[in-house]
Amino acid sequence: MTPATKTHPLTRRERRARILLFAQFVPIFAVLVILFGGALVMAVLQSLGFAPWFGVNTFPTLDYFAALWGSATFWTSLGLTLYYATVSTFLALVLGTLLALALVKTFRGKTFYKYLYKLPLMIPYTVGIALAVIMLGNGGMLSRLAAFFGVIDDPGQFLQILKTHYGWGIIAVYIWKQTPFITLAVYAVLLGIGRETEEAAAILGAGRRTIFFRVTLPQILPGIVSSTLICFAFNIGAFEAPFILGGGFPDTLPVVAWRYFNDSDYTLQLRGMATVVSIGIVSGVILFAYLAVYRTFERRMGRN
Amino acid sequence: MARREDIALTSRLSPFQRIYLLLIAGFIVGPFLPLIIQSLAFRWAWPDLMPGTWWMQQRGKSAIPLAWDYVLSPYSHIWEAAINTVAIGTTVTAICLVICLPAARVLARERFRGKGAFEFFLSLPLIVPEAAIGMALLMIFIRLGLAGSFFGIVIAHLIPTIPYMVRMLTAVYQGLGKDFEEQAMILGARPMQILFRVTLPMLLPGVVAGALFTFLVSTNIFLLTFFLGQGKIITLPTLLFAKISGGTLDASAAGITLVVTLPGIVLLLITERFIKEEAFGKGFGN
Repeated sequence: MTPATKTHPLTRRERRARILLFAQFVPIFAVLVILFGGALVMAVLQSLGFAPWFGVNTFPTLDYFAALWGSATFWTSLGLTLYYATVSTFLALVLGTLLALALVKTFRGKTFYKYLYKLPLMIPYTVGIALAVIMLGNGGMLSRLAAFFGVIDDPGQFLQILKTHYGWGIIAVYIWKQTPFITLAVYAVLLGIGRETEEAAAILGAGRRTIFFRVTLPQILPGIVSSTLICFAFNIGAFEAPFILGGGFPDTLPVVAWRYFNDSDYTLQLRGMATVVSIGIVSGVILFAYLAVYRTFERRMGRN
Repeated sequence: MARREDIALTSRLSPFQRIYLLLIAGFIVGPFLPLIIQSLAFRWAWPDLMPGTWWMQQRGKSAIPLAWDYVLSPYSHIWEAAINTVAIGTTVTAICLVICLPAARVLARERFRGKGAFEFFLSLPLIVPEAAIGMALLMIFIRLGLAGSFFGIVIAHLIPTIPYMVRMLTAVYQGLGKDFEEQAMILGARPMQILFRVTLPMLLPGVVAGALFTFLVSTNIFLLTFFLGQGKIITLPTLLFAKISGGTLDASAAGITLVVTLPGIVLLLITERFIKEEAFGKGFGN
């Protein structure tokens, strides 16, 4: 496919050009390999028992993983982590796609709306958490409204939204923050593909539903996949929302890892590392499966 | 049949979409209203929908709203956090630009074996959970003495910002094309001259967009700062976290939340002019 795969030896000039080419990658490669790659390698080594600075060096051992995976709470934590991540990513995807579809239409105040909907993208998750506390807490606005309409007459009677393992507070924060992200990605793709194919389908007699599922959706799929990948991975590794709004023990995995890290028994740090590596493995497996399914789908669609 | 086509082809909003847009707008900005009220309240007991006592009624005790008096005072550490946030964001953006510009140029213009794999590697930091990176880095940083230092935070922020920056800059270079640089070269310009007189001026709008976006990502990072800052370096997100980690929100916390929101609003007003949706979409195309 590429003409670059010629077999004869490169001339000196070509080789010099080639070296110059790759020299430009050195800074980015160095930063990512040393920082990011280094961090990952160290995490794996430590989770396998390599920590001479603690006087612990049993490398390689699976003890820490065994201890971690052997406890039932780990699996509960894992389930909670995946539950929050999946539900919020899915809901944000639905809300975001609907919003993007509405945004391609023309309407009054569209310029202003395009400012407004992006606001959560610009501010930290902690702001979203504060908003969740003031809206959804037992003494929050929704609870006050419920009292105003006479549904409840004591804050304790209000539906427990925050600090439960159903995690509606956490999910609300993720959705609030990530719907604009997915909207932006899908909207950008929608702008790129234009409306010709939809118009052609409409002229050929397709209804709205058919047009969306058979024409629009396959075209925006790349945007959907990449943005949901990023959201999902973020949600699995997110710390602050489950820490503040979660239901306490058993926590989500990043919070569990953090607690191991701050335990006065520093050897638990290695178990913390095993937790961190487990998060990485789980999210890696899921994301690769997701990508594999998507690739298969693409191939069946006749794209490569 | 004809009616159906009309519906499918219309560029106007359906009634559902009209309501939907309103609902989403309410969901996104609505919660800020009680936040503003809370920050101006003196006493706001359950189940009142409005504060029982506003700060104005207590003006004898404080000239400005009590919560704001605290928020803007040195005791809240908000100025320290704001300065840290901006300083870290600026440094990260500058380093990120220097690192990503050459790489983006090659990625946009050259074809080589393993390019796809390399691009995938560049986007990996986006899909590896931040908690994993943060904690692993913490162990390394503690040993290197970088934990809790400004420099340590800056280099940690490079990890999640580089993927965005390199994608946006690659899109910019792709749009630029090689022609102008080649013409300058034919006319006898030296490489440095080409860079400063031709390439950079043409790249500028895209570079500004990438820089703004990087700055934005950096100012929003909580976890890496929290883990690696060790409480010694506080930024706006970590300050707010400390304030609300108990799960309650008093008037001063509401004020701090609003202050933490402020840079985002400013950035929103600026970026909307610089970052075109299409450019952003290119980063997500594959």
